[in-house]
Amino acid sequence: MKWMLTLVFACLVSACTHKVQVETKEPITINLNVKVDHEIRVKVDKELDDLFSDDSELF
Amino acid sequence: MNASKLLTTIAAACMSFSVFAITLDDAKSQGLVGETAAGYLGVIKGSSEVKKLVKEVNSKRKAKYQQLAKKNGISLSQVEAMAAKKTFAKTAPGHFVKVDGKWVKK
Repeated sequence: MKWMLTLVFACLVSACTHKVQVETKEPITINLNVKVDHEIRVKVDKELDDLFSDDSELF
Repeated sequence: MNASKLLTTIAAACMSFSVFAITLDDAKSQGLVGETAAGYLGVIKGSSEVKKLVKEVNSKRKAKYQQLAKKNGISLSQVEAMAAKKTFAKTAPGHFVKVDGKWVKK
């Protein structure tokens, strides 16, 4: 993200005659899989168990 | 006097759970509804009564899931996924679960 902003900024401040070249050695991947923190997972797990027993008419 | 009041209260509390004309357990064992991979109930063979039951239960479930998600700062879909895993595990033999779009008897 930062380098993109830098690139945009560089494009803006440089005159159009200049050529800006950015070389990246490796492709940039954006991982959209949000990893749930293990602790939270355990907590939610337990709360779901409680929910299942408290609201047994829903499950 | 106090004892009878207590009994009445308990009886009233018990009755409040059976608000549906057809219970969820009945519907499950009759193969009318089953658990889906989304963490909610699905209608297999639906009379309007069954559909109404499923709709009500699902909306209540969603509210509970949303509470959990908000409380723990995770997304609703994450809670749904975890709940689905549990409902599948909890499903009694002979009841139905939806796997890859098909209803399967567990």
